[in-house]
Amino acid sequence: MTATDRQTLWARLRDAGLVEGEAPGVAESRSPWFVRVMLGIAGWIGALFLLAFVGVGFTFVVKSASVAFVVGAGICAGAALMFRAIPRSDFMGQFGLALSLAGQALMIFALMQWFGHSFTAAALAIALQQALLFVLVPNFIHRVWTSWTGAYAAVYALGNAGLHAFAPAAVTFGFLWPWFAEFDHPRRGELLRAAGYGLALAAVQTAVMHGTLWTVWLAGLGGSEALGGEALLRLGNLASGLVLIWAVLRLLKREGVGLGAGHGRIALAGAGLLALISLEAPGVGPAVAILVVGFANGNRVLAGLGILALLGYLSHYYYALHATLLEKSALLAGAGLVLLAARFALRRWWPNAKELRHA
Amino acid sequence: MTHSRQDLLEWAEAGRIAPENLRPALEVGGVLPDRAEWRAFLDRLLLWLGVVMLCASAVFFLAYNWQDLGRFAKFAMAEALVLAALAVIGWQGVERIAGKAALLAAALFTGALLALIGQTYQTGADTYELFAAWAAAILPWALFARFPALWVLWLALVNLAVVLYFQAFRGVLGILFGPERQLWLLFGMNTLALAAWEGLAQAGLAWLRERWAARLLATASGALATALAVIDIFSKDDIGVGGPVWLAWLAAAYAVYRHRIKDVYVLAGGVLSAVVVVAALLGRLMSDTRAEAGVFLLIGLVVIGMSAAGGFWLKNVASEEVES
Repeated sequence: MTATDRQTLWARLRDAGLVEGEAPGVAESRSPWFVRVMLGIAGWIGALFLLAFVGVGFTFVVKSASVAFVVGAGICAGAALMFRAIPRSDFMGQFGLALSLAGQALMIFALMQWFGHSFTAAALAIALQQALLFVLVPNFIHRVWTSWTGAYAAVYALGNAGLHAFAPAAVTFGFLWPWFAEFDHPRRGELLRAAGYGLALAAVQTAVMHGTLWTVWLAGLGGSEALGGEALLRLGNLASGLVLIWAVLRLLKREGVGLGAGHGRIALAGAGLLALISLEAPGVGPAVAILVVGFANGNRVLAGLGILALLGYLSHYYYALHATLLEKSALLAGAGLVLLAARFALRRWWPNAKELRHA
Repeated sequence: MTHSRQDLLEWAEAGRIAPENLRPALEVGGVLPDRAEWRAFLDRLLLWLGVVMLCASAVFFLAYNWQDLGRFAKFAMAEALVLAALAVIGWQGVERIAGKAALLAAALFTGALLALIGQTYQTGADTYELFAAWAAAILPWALFARFPALWVLWLALVNLAVVLYFQAFRGVLGILFGPERQLWLLFGMNTLALAAWEGLAQAGLAWLRERWAARLLATASGALATALAVIDIFSKDDIGVGGPVWLAWLAAAYAVYRHRIKDVYVLAGGVLSAVVVVAALLGRLMSDTRAEAGVFLLIGLVVIGMSAAGGFWLKNVASEEVES
């Protein structure tokens, strides 16, 4: 957006009585999302070399879990101080990120040693560690990372406790919360967005990986069988669909659309339809929820993540072993036809204003 | 929309917009969708989700190879799907969104039909031939449809055919067709496709100006160039062409995406590629050093320094782009 566009936007806001005074200048240059992703990946590469430096140069650190934890915590504390002391420095930001990632790896190594007997306890301890770092380290990329990994560690704990059927619903519910709060707490916007992106990544991962692949992965790590058998699996799938319906209800309320209104009923019917599909294909609900919330908040990156999650889940669904390919084919054909019929109904009951004008 | 969003959120964060005024401000700025945009979104969501599920259903069905259904019935089904999709294109026209969705479905159903032929008649053809035939079959549609997603599908099929071709002949001609040759061919193909895409878009083909597709190609081309350079660095031969070609790729990417087209996404990819190649080069040059820990620390610091400097530069380029 150019400086003139910015002035024009400010003038429109002032005319609408929403702001006062002169337009603020641009505080500082902003990095697009892909530059932040690049910095995150490079930060990890740097962290791996720093870890190798510690592993080779200070072997005593990795020989004892206690020493590894203390050194890791010290490194993370140093990184946090660095971020707080020189928040605007690009080099110190990147150095702090790599340092903290290396420190986290050392602490996770120690936690795995301490809680080796219980994977659930280790995963919960990692989730707690990442949550603390999320609060203490004031850096956007770092917060996205800690939110993502912390949430995924919690999902792991849930899965290892035999409740993996509820993982997509739980992490999607967690993801929705910061995005629904984004506009209500603008002063904490950056914090909420960092949490939101991290939880979105965890939700995408959980939705795409859900099912057989997840079970195989957990089994490889000594994970537990699903509790409650088929009945609980069904309940978990139902929860995935219900989370989508809840998200749509929240959005309708936020947009001021009553359930009695035609548009509200159409949106709720669409959500109900997708929730029904989620009963057999539980990744659909969370993926659509990410897409819809991304669109509702005017956030293209989030909407794009939702599309990727949907495509990723359908690719993974091919390999899901809970049903034969024939059964899955029948479900998808039915769902596809119903969705196209729903589109036909939408165009009939909610015609496009432009098309009506041309008619 | 995205830039207005960022500005408005920053103003609210700085306290220049009161919390209770943020939502109305986002509405005034056109960031939040209005009713017409919601309707268009639901329309597209239902259309694409429905079409993707139908296509996946056809693929799953044929992969199941249901024995209770005769081969003629299966062929009739697969052909009917292609014909139905073509009928929708005839009805809606290829310029409308429903026509485009039907065209993509027709292209996917064609692949399913070809797979069915291979499955039924056990022609002895290799898998790569299926993908090559599939790409050849949908090429005329791609040429006439002016639809970027169909071209991306076509390029994905050609890439898959190449990968599978090398897999099929690895055992027989392993020396001649080593993994590097495969990477070179894929690199050449994707780079050529990228150059053609950008060139034609610049020459006036407006429908090719969708950045996501060009970025996908640039990612493939850049990743392959990086892989070739890293292989070259760690190969036993002293001199290879991977490094110089990577350098040429980087220079060309800088010239094109910094000065002609201005795409910070590709520049960010270039920075990451440079970080990876320099780290690999330092690792190779210092592999004989006794002070291993010092080498790791040095490489780590170089990676951090390079990426930080790259991030700073990209941030400035991005803000220039916005102001331009």
